[in-house]
Amino acid sequence: MQNTLLVGLSRQVVLRRELDVVANNIANVNTSGFKADGAVFEEFIGKTARSDNMSNRDRQVSFVRDRATWTDFSSGSMERTGNATDVAINGKGFFAVQTPGGERYTRNGGFLVDNTGQLVTSEGYPVLGENGPIQFQPNDVNIKISGDGTVSVAVAGNPGQESQRGKLRMVGFDNPAMLQKAGVGTFALKDGATPIPDTQSKFVQGSVEKSNVRSVVEMTRMIEITRTYTQVANMMQQQSDMRRTAIDKLAEVPA
Amino acid sequence: MRALHTAATGMMAQELNVQVISNNIANMRTTAYKRQRAEFQDLLYEHVSRVGAQTSSQGNVLPAGIELGSGVKTVGTPRIMTQGSLAQTGKDYDVAIRGEGFFKVTMPDGSTAYTRDGSFELDAQGRIVTANGNLIQPGITIPQNATGVTINAQGQVLVTQPGQTTQNQVGQIELSMFINKAGLKGIGDNLYLETPASGAPQNGTPQLNGFGDLQQGNLEQANVEAVSEISDLIAAQRAYEMNAKVISAADQMLSATSNLMR
Repeated sequence: MQNTLLVGLSRQVVLRRELDVVANNIANVNTSGFKADGAVFEEFIGKTARSDNMSNRDRQVSFVRDRATWTDFSSGSMERTGNATDVAINGKGFFAVQTPGGERYTRNGGFLVDNTGQLVTSEGYPVLGENGPIQFQPNDVNIKISGDGTVSVAVAGNPGQESQRGKLRMVGFDNPAMLQKAGVGTFALKDGATPIPDTQSKFVQGSVEKSNVRSVVEMTRMIEITRTYTQVANMMQQQSDMRRTAIDKLAEVPA
Repeated sequence: MRALHTAATGMMAQELNVQVISNNIANMRTTAYKRQRAEFQDLLYEHVSRVGAQTSSQGNVLPAGIELGSGVKTVGTPRIMTQGSLAQTGKDYDVAIRGEGFFKVTMPDGSTAYTRDGSFELDAQGRIVTANGNLIQPGITIPQNATGVTINAQGQVLVTQPGQTTQNQVGQIELSMFINKAGLKGIGDNLYLETPASGAPQNGTPQLNGFGDLQQGNLEQANVEAVSEISDLIAAQRAYEMNAKVISAADQMLSATSNLMR
């Protein structure tokens, strides 16, 4: 009798968690470089007092619980901005940025130049090149970033001469599941994993990668979640009505 | 219900996004206006079950944990300082910058502001001023009897005076450059102020050392592209609606729960 309520409750807890994931995806539908999350569930066999030595065994009760969230690392669409310090990545690679918490990785290439002339993210974290941050001089103009990440500028006073300011790092991973979201569009690497250089991906200057949240998919998931939740709630309601009726009927004293 | 709050951050972010876009569209015809864009980033994640935690006494390790995000925030609205197109006006005191640099303007309180808007005029004393009547730096006075004014690509201001065959130089327009143009603070009236983020101004002469050249008789247009702003507006509006739908969904789930107790 009680099991219906408890199984229903486990389903509801999981559905709430799933709605949280969907809500975060939809909140970030316009966040550059954002990667959508999904949730994975598993069956959980409840441990109950059972008797298996009869001809009809007791059935096991299975509950549900959420096992993990996973991140969809597919590329978002590229939006052309024409801004020299906007960079998108064509391929599976990541930018490396230096944060107070250590090296982090991101797909959001809407960069800026800060007051010291460093190439930084919109949070102000330096973007890492192969030899540390990319440093510009006060009168550098016409920043050019090539497909392999070479950053060159036209030198003031010497028209026609280009000078290099470093080479952006393209970081790859054997298994993107080793990345953990660290907020502000960045990913941290789980313990024991190391990045590998990525030679396949290309940098694209003047574009920004948009969020890869597929809004239609998220909205349908959301409808599914709310409907299921309501159905489970109805089921629990019916179960409790049934018990109330049973108690009423069984407790009736015949006159 | 965390989802309620998450969706609320999404709605607030899109509201700000629409504000930024509407300001861009409102300034589509403003001389030398530089469009802004809203930059969003995801908020912190709560790690409900830790990655790498042991899931059994045999030492099985959890390959992926549960990460619940808490929404979105706006990190900034940087200006996109790309060159706007030049429109010919034919007016002597309209000057556009083609390339890097800002005109220097003396504010009424004596401080310096910067602008790309070169729609200049003369005041009663013959000094070159902005459309708001602020003097440009360094100050340039046009003689009363000047019959023609040329401002060349290098910023030299030359006048023709009666009885003279050659032009006399009466001033030199200077420009300022910033390492981080996007860090300038807009104060309206097409003016910008230096901030700690922008870095100190580098002063110089047009056409030299990376500065742009001046084009007399032209004005720089806003760098707003109507098509991309409208498509951004549609995206922002739809995102706002979807976040509102999430709030309704969370609300339905809450009401289903509260209806259990009759």
